[in-house]
Amino acid sequence: MTGAMVFAAGCASNGVKNPDGRPVTQMNADEKGFVQGTGIESQDLVAVSDKMARSILAVPQIAQALTPPVIVLDPVQNKTRFPINKDIFLTRLRTRLNSQAVGKVQFLARDRMAALQRERDMKITGEVTAATTPATVEFKGADFFLTGSLESISTRTAQGQSDYVLYSFQLIDARTSVIVWEDSAEIKKQGLEDAAYR
Amino acid sequence: MPEVPTASQATSRMSARRGHLGVAAILLALALGGCASAPEPPTFVPTGDPVADANTRIALAPPQDRPLWQARLGLEAMRRGDWAEARAKLDDAILAQGGMMGPSADAARARSLFHREDSKLFVGEPYERALVYYYRAIIYWMDGEPDNARACYRTAELMDSDASASTYKGDWVLPDYLDALASAHMKDDGSDALQRAQHNYTGMLPPFEPEANVLVFAEFGRGPKKYAGGEYEEELYFQPGSSLARNAILRVAGQSVLIGAYDDVSFQATTRGGRVMDHILANKVVFKETTDLVGDAALIGAGISAYQPDSHRNDGLTVGLAAVGLISKIASAATTPAADIRCWDNLPQGLGFAGLKLPAGQYPATVEFHAADGSIVSTREFTLPVNPAPASTVLLLSELTP
Repeated sequence: MTGAMVFAAGCASNGVKNPDGRPVTQMNADEKGFVQGTGIESQDLVAVSDKMARSILAVPQIAQALTPPVIVLDPVQNKTRFPINKDIFLTRLRTRLNSQAVGKVQFLARDRMAALQRERDMKITGEVTAATTPATVEFKGADFFLTGSLESISTRTAQGQSDYVLYSFQLIDARTSVIVWEDSAEIKKQGLEDAAYR
Repeated sequence: MPEVPTASQATSRMSARRGHLGVAAILLALALGGCASAPEPPTFVPTGDPVADANTRIALAPPQDRPLWQARLGLEAMRRGDWAEARAKLDDAILAQGGMMGPSADAARARSLFHREDSKLFVGEPYERALVYYYRAIIYWMDGEPDNARACYRTAELMDSDASASTYKGDWVLPDYLDALASAHMKDDGSDALQRAQHNYTGMLPPFEPEANVLVFAEFGRGPKKYAGGEYEEELYFQPGSSLARNAILRVAGQSVLIGAYDDVSFQATTRGGRVMDHILANKVVFKETTDLVGDAALIGAGISAYQPDSHRNDGLTVGLAAVGLISKIASAATTPAADIRCWDNLPQGLGFAGLKLPAGQYPATVEFHAADGSIVSTREFTLPVNPAPASTVLLLSELTP
């Protein structure tokens, strides 16, 4: 009879993991969280951009330059199956380079050109003050373009899902179009959905 | 004068009474065990505004059903031109798909004998998963992100690539065609995807125009519905959708553009093949039937035992059989093999596409949906605002637009 009662009571909701949820956990961006998929995740971003930043700083055109080379970021091409904010790779790469190698490279804020141009126009028309002659073009040209592409191979079968992503980045000489540096990182992930979803 | 029972008769009757009391106690305990009840769900009062109502539904729905409501609302918002709402809701629905990988408590619960399949997080069947990406891609086009649109088309095909029969793996037409178009739009090579699209479609694909700046997506009819069959509703079936309209003609700026239905959503829903979950549900049925049978046998045995002459009656055996029978019957009743029939039910039956080139401006336009015999099913007039280059203009023409 006790067994029957225990059995009957067991029909309610035992066996549910974390019935109260999980408290918010602060994690490092390079940590694997308990929520994971086979897609592009923060730990991949951190690992890839750290590797690329180290690699770029070793390029002779950067390491041995007498004056800091001027770099423009050209948006990464996303050829994977994952819709992502692709600019985030170059943003992190830029911030790593700026923080790790202060003064060794300079980046141009080309994505802010509309606002910068508007400011210059206002200086020229005298709407706002100017420290120098505003008509003189002082916007810098690029020595190098930093860009890249994300490509993937994905497989999905009854046995699971696999995603391989190749992250490749290039530094291109803006004058000659020569690729002066290129490096890549590759990450493969695979997993299997719970049978309830198969 | 009443007959006075002997001492042995009295003991025997007391023993029988104790046996009956024991059975009654078990019944009472089991009845009380079933008294636990879920809290009353909050009351939903419809306002008549589908977007506001769906948002309320999302807030009130059990967590496992929210992605379903998000997908429904995302699509409804797209048809109403509420792109911000659509973007947010489809992104939420896509996020839910990310939670399928690996161990999951609610998925494990859905597999267990005593929980329904629909207690798992809704991510839909492969055709529904693919279509979340298909629709999200339309918004990426509109936002000037053809690479992310292409990423969605690739994932849509991937979602369909675990069908049982190889013929039906990744056989959506438009996702491949639009993958190729997005690639060509970005000066990439999309010829492989275009070949796959042509391979999967027996007729003529829409003219391939990488320079098209107006992308017209069409929806025809109403899509498939799910229903459950089998004695315990353990079998998942699809009621195919239907569409009177077979194609549409868009008349704008002196052009007449034919938009065919290149993808059949019901076909995609019904060609996936068996699910792993179908085997699990079949096992639940076996357990349910076996425990029911064992329960019947044990209860009959208990009944027979209870009415044996005193000299042959074994009260311990009677109670034991009754307990086994009741537990077994309850286990059978508590087993829930019903298939998950939650369905993204505002999908269309057919998907169409056409691309055209138009200078920026406002254009009066008409769309006519045509039946197979050429008769007009419905007509709609509207103004088409074409964005200045390089932005693409996206137009969703749906028979389901209110």
